[in-house]
Amino acid sequence: MIYSSLLFIYGFLPVSLLLYYLTPKKLREIMLLILSIAFCGLVSLYFMIFILWFTVVNYLFTHLIGRARKNEKLAAVPLAAGIIIDLVALLAFRTEYVLWLRRLIRAPESFYPVGISFFALGAIGTLIDVYKGRIKADRCFTRYGLYIMFFPRLIMGPLLRYRVFTNILDNRCESLSGMGVGMSLFVKGLAKKVIAADTLYMLYTAAGNEPVDEMSAVTAWLGVVAFIFCLYFELSGLADMGMGTAYCFGLKLPQSFNYPLLSTRIKYFTTRWQSQTVQWIRRYITKPLYGVCPKKWIRETVFVAGWGIFGLWYVFDLNGLIWGLLMGLAALIESRLSRNKVMNFTGIIYTFLVVILCGVFLSGDSPAYSVRYLFAMIGGNGVIADAQAFYLFKSYIVLLLVTMYASTDLFRNLMTRSGRNRFKTAVMVVSPVLVLAVLIICTALISYSGSSEMLLMKL
Amino acid sequence: MKIVSRITAVLTLAFIAVFAVMTFFGDKKDFSAEENRCLAAVPEPDKDGLYDGSTSVQLGSYVTDHFACRNSWLAAGSLIQTQLSESIVNGVYVTDERLIDTRNSGESIVPAADVFNSFAEDNDGMVYIVAVPTSAGVYGDVLPHHIVRRSESQQISEFYDALNSDIRRIDAYNILKMLKDNYIYYRSDTKWTVYGAYCVYKTVIQKLGMLPTAYDKFTIEHVTNSFRGDLYNRTLSEKPKADIMDIYDNRDGTEVVSCTVIHSDGSTGEGVVYDRSRLGTGDMYSMYLGESVPVMNIRTTNNSNNKLLVVKDSFGDCFVPFLLQHYSEITVVSPEDLEGKLSDYVNVGDYPQTLFLFGTDSLENREMLSRIKA
Repeated sequence: MIYSSLLFIYGFLPVSLLLYYLTPKKLREIMLLILSIAFCGLVSLYFMIFILWFTVVNYLFTHLIGRARKNEKLAAVPLAAGIIIDLVALLAFRTEYVLWLRRLIRAPESFYPVGISFFALGAIGTLIDVYKGRIKADRCFTRYGLYIMFFPRLIMGPLLRYRVFTNILDNRCESLSGMGVGMSLFVKGLAKKVIAADTLYMLYTAAGNEPVDEMSAVTAWLGVVAFIFCLYFELSGLADMGMGTAYCFGLKLPQSFNYPLLSTRIKYFTTRWQSQTVQWIRRYITKPLYGVCPKKWIRETVFVAGWGIFGLWYVFDLNGLIWGLLMGLAALIESRLSRNKVMNFTGIIYTFLVVILCGVFLSGDSPAYSVRYLFAMIGGNGVIADAQAFYLFKSYIVLLLVTMYASTDLFRNLMTRSGRNRFKTAVMVVSPVLVLAVLIICTALISYSGSSEMLLMKL
Repeated sequence: MKIVSRITAVLTLAFIAVFAVMTFFGDKKDFSAEENRCLAAVPEPDKDGLYDGSTSVQLGSYVTDHFACRNSWLAAGSLIQTQLSESIVNGVYVTDERLIDTRNSGESIVPAADVFNSFAEDNDGMVYIVAVPTSAGVYGDVLPHHIVRRSESQQISEFYDALNSDIRRIDAYNILKMLKDNYIYYRSDTKWTVYGAYCVYKTVIQKLGMLPTAYDKFTIEHVTNSFRGDLYNRTLSEKPKADIMDIYDNRDGTEVVSCTVIHSDGSTGEGVVYDRSRLGTGDMYSMYLGESVPVMNIRTTNNSNNKLLVVKDSFGDCFVPFLLQHYSEITVVSPEDLEGKLSDYVNVGDYPQTLFLFGTDSLENREMLSRIKA
């Protein structure tokens, strides 16, 4: 069950809100856990059993580490075992390499543990934190269970540290206005997924239908731009929907995407794109390595390698790796070259170009294909634009421009800067109606198939 | 600020609640007339289904199919979709003029030739074959470039080339392509209109060895002008005008004496050539030859003693009435509804002539065609 489905919006969401607010305040965390387990059960019973096992095993490992902490060497045994188990589980379902595990646990043919990329990394991080003594192993199973299973976080994170998550739970505060904020966030995410991502996906597939060695330059550009925007709107849309749902329960999750496209520097892009996962990699992989690397060039290699891992986390193959390495490299080169301030406009242009050019690798199936594609983008096939390109340009240009605007923070800045003037009041007054209207439009768009399941990446 | 959020919360949650309640407690239909299909039933939870998640998928489609005001949602959805980007809704290209199917199964129709070749070898009678293009085959050139549809004319000619030389082929494609400015295909359906069928009939009947009935012999009755076909069922888009369904009646011609049908459960019953009661249902097209049955046997006042076996898909429904003028007995077989083999129902040896009439879309369906083989 994905958030952008009729079953979730008009079934699971209202029922869970009702049950949640009928529960006395003290028991609400338990209620959330029950709801999350029910959500997993609605994906499939097997998934529910799988994730419950996963939770219990990791919970036990955190306690084993916690007990053995006085003897660091002894504690390293459960730590290593726990990390290996989590990593193997992650690799088994994200890749085609560890197939024996799937057979071993008798997973049904089409089984995919939703959100394993997030909860497996979360569990690993918690094991390390307990080992390092940054946090204590939590006795409360409800909270640990929620950390792994909390359903608004399940599909698209954000990937949080355990301490941050428990802080969020501690600061729970339910209110009607909070629900309003949550619903507007949810609808915003829904619109990102259903209106923007799904339509851009049509453009992406339409452009990709043409063989790469006949593609005109304009078509190639349209295709890859559509891919990057589609990816952004899909990931951030699902994240927004999750965040909005959590808001309705009075929990404030941090945002994963802070308008990364059209940033003014590559550096800003790298800190705004799926920031929690990037932070996770820095905290648990690259930062500890920096400490032991005395030389600068080694540290820089580690930095780039960290991005390579991030790329692999998206797509576990050579293309994903290349994408990550290129992005890391670009950020590195930028920090070396431009110490003085770059003009915003130039910055936006070159950042966007770098993101697009690297994106070719994320979208392709093989490096050879991506190189061919890049060749087509510079007009290497001898065609700048053909009938196909004109048709696609004509059909999608409005949508592309609108989504481009929506992916920037221009509107948000306009609202914050305008202070208390008429414009802001007008926007505020129409916003409830607008939210409702967008909800209606999205419902109409998903009414045929009942959900918008298209996913560029299963995380 | 807070008050705005509160209003938002109340508005959206109330809206969601209303539709959730309406969906849950509303009337449930088993069949949707607009979409012309059976709606999903309540999933029955069983161990395996729950275990691998198929029950929740079924639950999802149940909620989707019985969502309150589904038809209005669908219509609105296709309207918005066409405004948003390309005019493609659920694989159907929507223009003001007509709806065109863009789905491409990628299957070739050429292997289907084996079925007809072996049929012709096993039986002594003459075999005639008409492969009819779908509306996308005739009007497909308006589709955007990137929709790679196989060319139906090429498919048909390759298919014809693969047939044995003693099978008579009738080139419906070029007849229809030449007349494409006429009303030969429904605007909202993949199939041809009666007029399209008539144009092909003129050639077919000559091949069969008879003279066609002239166009002015018919009185044409518009039985409905609100027909919406299978492409409408997929989009609920009312952008093109509704279609007209006609009945061509030849008053001086032969009359139908009897019309018996064999249902798929083996029982026999009475059939009709034009079942006007079907006009009140979602499946208006089944007015031609009535509800689909595996076998239909029609006898007429024609005393020529000519007998014909017609094996057809839904393209044949409006085509068969033209043939009635010329034969004293016609048996119509729809392999789609057959349970078992063609030879279980009909003694093929009784018929000196057999006419196969299929749209290119059903020629892709190997499983269905295999029932024709002896």
